[in-house]
Amino acid sequence: MIELKNVTKYFRTNNSKKYILRNVNMVLPDVNIGILGRNGMGKSTLMRMLGKIEFPNEGTIISKQSFSWPLGLSGGFVGNMTGRQNVKFVCNLYGKSREETRAVIAYVQEFSELEEYFDMPVKTYSSGMKGRLGFGLSLSFDFDYMLIDETLSVGDARFRTKAKTHLKKKIENCHVILVSHDMKTLREMCQAGLLVHEGELHYFDDIEEGIKRYNEINQEGR
Amino acid sequence: MCPLLKNNSGIELPRLRLRLKQRKPTFIFVSVIKALFLRELATRISVGRTGLFWTFFEPFFQIFVFILMRALMQQYGGGQTSFNYVVFMASGFIPFNMFRAILSSSAGAFQANKGLFSYKQVKPIDTIIARALVEMFLSVIIIMMFLAIGIFLNIDNVFPDNTPMVFLGYVWLWIFSVSLGLLVAVGNTFFISVGKMVSISTFGLLFFSAVFYPLVSLPPTAQDVLLYNPLTHFMEMIHGFYLQALDDRFVNYRYMLLWTIVPLFMGLWLYRMLERRIVSE
Repeated sequence: MIELKNVTKYFRTNNSKKYILRNVNMVLPDVNIGILGRNGMGKSTLMRMLGKIEFPNEGTIISKQSFSWPLGLSGGFVGNMTGRQNVKFVCNLYGKSREETRAVIAYVQEFSELEEYFDMPVKTYSSGMKGRLGFGLSLSFDFDYMLIDETLSVGDARFRTKAKTHLKKKIENCHVILVSHDMKTLREMCQAGLLVHEGELHYFDDIEEGIKRYNEINQEGR
Repeated sequence: MCPLLKNNSGIELPRLRLRLKQRKPTFIFVSVIKALFLRELATRISVGRTGLFWTFFEPFFQIFVFILMRALMQQYGGGQTSFNYVVFMASGFIPFNMFRAILSSSAGAFQANKGLFSYKQVKPIDTIIARALVEMFLSVIIIMMFLAIGIFLNIDNVFPDNTPMVFLGYVWLWIFSVSLGLLVAVGNTFFISVGKMVSISTFGLLFFSAVFYPLVSLPPTAQDVLLYNPLTHFMEMIHGFYLQALDDRFVNYRYMLLWTIVPLFMGLWLYRMLERRIVSE
């Protein structure tokens, strides 16, 4: 359960405030949620706020669950450290024991299919390789919520299928908050929809309704 | 409960329960600092080996140059001292370098670690503490190198005259540097020029902080001026307790305390107010 209390979030532009949320009160049940919205409406910001990496300007967001780091293409990797070192670093961050770290490394190495690149600095990776590394890493941790920012489009078709299969298996036991423009992925992964539009937040128990409303908004905007 | 995950080749992911909720704040803090420390150290070692070489070579170079200068001065009948000049230089330059390194590395700490703030448990201040710890660690290694060389060459007064007080001086200087570093880092996030000002002024400080000369050797007016500089007090304290022939007669401990507490609390206060903005900057 995630509770939003009087949440207001805005970004300052040159001479005005651009509102992402305007005094929103809402309680989100523990289900898989897909965040919908047009470009620049603040989908990623909302996701980061739910994951407590970004903070509202006013109001609070209350939840007791653990959240993953947002899985996106530009993950928090250090360019001049190798993939292996980066994985080790994240394990250290989460206070893993030595055996656990070893297991995570073995898993990520296997899953990411980076081969010899696993021991090369991350700055030499392509964006797809970075995404694969990040994806494997986050799958090896257990969170109550996985935050995913359009990462499912990582790698080639074969890897995408593999990633999806693993993620589906993973979210049998935890929840996911997914930002995507791909309606097919949203339908596959999520039950509920959350639409961000012009400072307002709309919750839909059924993702289909959310997608319908989102399409309507897109029509209006045309 | 998460079941075992299997991938195509059959490798199994052991059951790893991440008990975020059960982790105590101190435990989280310690593991974050440890991870950041190892990471900073790894980057220092791997990126451009010249950087690491310079870290260890710099104090040798500085001390060599200043000993050379003194030898020249002696030729013209000056620079006679009652204490071991080599030890004096080493015990001055090493802590001064630590001070300077902490200040300049914390100036860029938030910027350089921006990507890491997407891990919720990493707070910006952790990156400063980790960097300062790395500098202290490198300082300790340099000190040990100097001690080893000193013992090998059989130099007088290799070990401090009053070890606990020298130790206190170092630790105190570290805290002082971190407090200033925090202020600089917060300032640098919102006004970029702060970092540049610091790098210029720390270079100048080398000449006005009693690093390579004892305060006693200066005329009284110069002493009075230099004593406004808190770093002078730290240097005099460390020198005074390191060498038998010197003392801490100029050191004003209350002044040092003032200069430690005020920046520390101001830095923490500003940091607390701006932490969220730094994270999302």
